[in-house]
Amino acid sequence: MNKKQRKECKLKWTLIALIPTIIIILPVYFIAIGGFQSTAEIFHRPLYWFPPHPSMEFYNQAWVTLFPYLKNSLIVALGNLALTLTVAVPAAFALAKFRLKLGKLTFLILLFTQILPATAVILPLFLIFNNFGLINNYFSVILGIAVFTIPFATVILRAYIQGIPTSIIEAAFIDGADLFRIFRSIILPLLSPAIATAGTLTFIMAWGDFIFSLTFLKDQTMQTMSIGIYRFVGQYGVEWNNLMAGSMIFAILPIIVALLAGKAIVSGLTAGAFK
Amino acid sequence: MKAFSYKMYFFLIPALVYQLIFGVYPLIYNLILSFKDVNLITYIGGTSQWIGLSNYVQILKDPVFKKAIFNTLIFTGLSLCFQFIVGFCLALLFNRTFPLKGLFQSLIMIPWVLPIMVSGSFFRWFFNDQGMANNILLSWGFIDKPIPWITSQILPILSITAANIWLGIPFTFILLYTGLRAIPLELFESAEIDGANWWQNILFITIPILKPVIITILTLGCILTVKAFDLIWIMTKGGPGDVSQLLTTLSYSLAFNKFHFGKSSSLLVIMVLLVISLTILFNSIKVEEESSIE
Repeated sequence: MNKKQRKECKLKWTLIALIPTIIIILPVYFIAIGGFQSTAEIFHRPLYWFPPHPSMEFYNQAWVTLFPYLKNSLIVALGNLALTLTVAVPAAFALAKFRLKLGKLTFLILLFTQILPATAVILPLFLIFNNFGLINNYFSVILGIAVFTIPFATVILRAYIQGIPTSIIEAAFIDGADLFRIFRSIILPLLSPAIATAGTLTFIMAWGDFIFSLTFLKDQTMQTMSIGIYRFVGQYGVEWNNLMAGSMIFAILPIIVALLAGKAIVSGLTAGAFK
Repeated sequence: MKAFSYKMYFFLIPALVYQLIFGVYPLIYNLILSFKDVNLITYIGGTSQWIGLSNYVQILKDPVFKKAIFNTLIFTGLSLCFQFIVGFCLALLFNRTFPLKGLFQSLIMIPWVLPIMVSGSFFRWFFNDQGMANNILLSWGFIDKPIPWITSQILPILSITAANIWLGIPFTFILLYTGLRAIPLELFESAEIDGANWWQNILFITIPILKPVIITILTLGCILTVKAFDLIWIMTKGGPGDVSQLLTTLSYSLAFNKFHFGKSSSLLVIMVLLVISLTILFNSIKVEEESSIE
């Protein structure tokens, strides 16, 4: 095969791979164009593959209606991110580098809570939080989501820390460095790409959370985007165009993250799965 | 490293304590609830009584519970099967270099990062009586009247499963792809010299080498699918009637729509036991596999 033929052969694979890729992202495309159309156009037969009279009106409407929910989603996702990393990074360090008596037990408990169905903890947590007056409080959602994001992040980070040579830590120790100093000046800088990866995945999980927001936030002013979008599912039918515009506004942040940090997401997910 | 002694626990304890308070304690609380007749009135009044196994007997006798078990089996079995087939084909397709590969891979990850409310809303529209699926089938003349995808007796669970397969493709794809990349190309080249064709390569080289990866994927996939709640709740809430009820949605509606806290708790205990036994089962397969390699 000469150079030109080889290049054509590779382009052939690009075209073949394009087909499943398009099918997989087709739902996102239809949500995006749904926001530019009237409800009648969304349900028009035959289906419109491009908006016939694109209008920004519904995106504007959805943005105005959903802005408070967007703010709540951001509070919950960032709050959960801070909590998760504060707990998970040190724990991953201890689990990866030290043989502690409680280490094995902690790891088992982390793996155990990770496999639990969210529905299994949500009823008891609801009743417990209710006793403490935490329902309709951002804390209840943040604490609830963290039950799943802490093990998730710890397992990923532990896999990365195991890749840092122990001899670096031992050398620093012989030079008289304190454990906290080693953590701050050696582990954290070396780990920052992994923390970014685990943080991205954690953020995406909390941003998309549905069940905890649905159950713990009954006050409309506190609800997140997942529930706020229900505003368009009214008593007299669904406002599909606003629903789709709102969905797209909600989805745009994770989509951008996936496109910018696709590689990091992949490496984080595989590190977590093949622990 | 022993010199750090107690200081090392500062790093570990927060995670341990957190999971004990917010993960393990709720389960114990849940176990206690499952032996009491807790509903909204007895919960607020604090007058719930111990009733032994009565909640469990009630739930096991409930025909909706049997329906939910059946649906969960269908949902999990079909999801795992099709996610694996599609994921494996995609992984094989991507196991070579071509222009724009990185972009395509990132695009395929999108179903995983999309908030479940967004994908759920799409599939509600897609399977709506007037939605995209019926729209295309009607205008291409495959059917004469709309198919009730999520409003009939049998179809809803299958429609939900189809949506869930789409959701699970990125995860299966990416794990299989990573596994494939680890296989040295020389293996295939030497097999080709010996006259092996493409199918033989897949059957006798790829799949046997990937076996541990495949077991891991099926384990994680099985647990993730049995746990699924959000998608079903958004698409049908287990309805119409109870026809698309899964174990997860049934327990949620018992608790938060009907306020039968005790009954819901007993179902939750059954579910937790199910997930634990699944994990142990898969782990034992994995251990057997590893020891046979040695």
